Amino acid sequence: MTRTPRLTSDTAACCWIPLFALRCETARRPELASLPLALLAPDDTRRLWQVAPLARRAGVKPGMTVSQAIGLCPALKLCEPDPVHYDEQFARLVAALVTVSPVVEPVELGRAYVGTDGLERLYGSPQQIVKEIQMRSAECGMRNLPNAECGMGNAECKGRRREANDPSLKFRNPHSAFRIGWGRGKFVAWVAATRAKPGEAVPVPVGGEAQFLASQRLAVLPLDPDTHRRLLQLGVKTLGALVALPEEAVVSQFGRAGRRLWRLAAGLVSEPVVGRVVPEPIVAALTFFTPVGDRDLLAHALDKLVDRALGDPRRSGWRVQVVRVHAELEHGASWLVAATLKDPAATRERIAAPLKTQLERSPPAGAVERLVVEFTAFAPGTAELQLFARDAGAAARAGRRRALQSAAREIALRIRRPMLYHVIEVQPWSRLPERRYALIDYEP
Amino acid sequence: MNPEKMRNGADRLRALNVQQRVEVVLDERGIPSIVKRTAGNEKRIESVGEIWRIDDEWWRMPIVRRYVEVILEGGGRVVLFEDLMTGEWFAQMPA
Repeated sequence: MTRTPRLTSDTAACCWIPLFALRCETARRPELASLPLALLAPDDTRRLWQVAPLARRAGVKPGMTVSQAIGLCPALKLCEPDPVHYDEQFARLVAALVTVSPVVEPVELGRAYVGTDGLERLYGSPQQIVKEIQMRSAECGMRNLPNAECGMGNAECKGRRREANDPSLKFRNPHSAFRIGWGRGKFVAWVAATRAKPGEAVPVPVGGEAQFLASQRLAVLPLDPDTHRRLLQLGVKTLGALVALPEEAVVSQFGRAGRRLWRLAAGLVSEPVVGRVVPEPIVAALTFFTPVGDRDLLAHALDKLVDRALGDPRRSGWRVQVVRVHAELEHGASWLVAATLKDPAATRERIAAPLKTQLERSPPAGAVERLVVEFTAFAPGTAELQLFARDAGAAARAGRRRALQSAAREIALRIRRPMLYHVIEVQPWSRLPERRYALIDYEP
Repeated sequence: MNPEKMRNGADRLRALNVQQRVEVVLDERGIPSIVKRTAGNEKRIESVGEIWRIDDEWWRMPIVRRYVEVILEGGGRVVLFEDLMTGEWFAQMPA
């Protein structure tokens, strides 16, 4: 039995993009950035999931029903969620982080921890490690580096300065809100990230955790509302105030959870970042009874092999980035094609498509005796998809929506005006029939 | 309620099953007997189903309606209601 090595790191950089899903939408459709925007919840389209600052100013909050939100902000622009798209964007970010450190732990959409133990020799001080993370993330679409560090031209830099000063532009780019916190353990790094300004970093020196945490608000602790309320009633408003209480007194009030909270607040808990080991290449092969020259049959065999390789348990939690196909031909010749997927994928269609194109363009020179599909490089993702898409239903809806989007685009091209709408429940309980349901423009 | 108000400012949200203004001829009992949607498009009411009344939103702009479910000649089923605040009649699709 092979032993899987554990990738862990005590020091952590917490990379956080608040309202990630909403920012993905505004990055995709910049015209939305200037509107009071809200995303519907993936599992309940009657409720709001994420709310843009403009809508928040009007009193709209996450979790509200659509009817409440429209009542507060009649100009509210509602968006259907696209969890698969958000997941893909997040997977790109995680893939960029993996180039800095092999220890990366995605937690939720827009938040991932990077283990930084041992990176000092590569990059230098924590500040330089953070800069490296910012730079690598920039390569996947991030725009948060000042001129001196990224070597931009003046015109480009002016544009970015304008972006930094214009809140609507800032909101348009999901990565301009990238915040980094660095420290010992995930909790300290997370609290530091919440204190960082957009595009900036807050490093907490090792040994300085208690001092840093002491001034933080109680809300940074993973508290249930009841404990939070009780602590506030006791006059405890900061982590410093909590630590000032004797540990045993907190334990007697709040039990085991109290001990954990006290130790977190005191900076005594250092949860390491736990990364995952990238799987070895996955191979699926098929030997034909008689050599095959028919391209359709070969394409069909390719589909089957890709399916089989995707079903390998080692692939779970990973998307395929590089796929190779080689064939042993009659008379000892061979054929080889490889494809690097720009967006790593975990579906047969997307993986097989470039291979089939190459099969059409440069087919094997003879009949194939044996066909082998090999996944050689991976990017993190599928587990996150399941995690962040919340449920298979939401992911399936997102898939259906994509098919609908392409159909809608075609209709819009033909008749030149939007004619597709989505029905949402507004006040399904209302006694007035015209208030129960409404249509939102469906925009691909 | 004005259907236009059901739309949001960005014209993104449109109410479904918005009532349409109609003209109604009543019989001696005050029950609709003929419905005119547009000029020259009038239909006789073949049968009358349920009749009910709602009083709502008395705390802001009161909504008082008398609903009549009818079958039109030719078999169409619609719900008519009289806005008892204004005396106007409207037609809606049955729920």
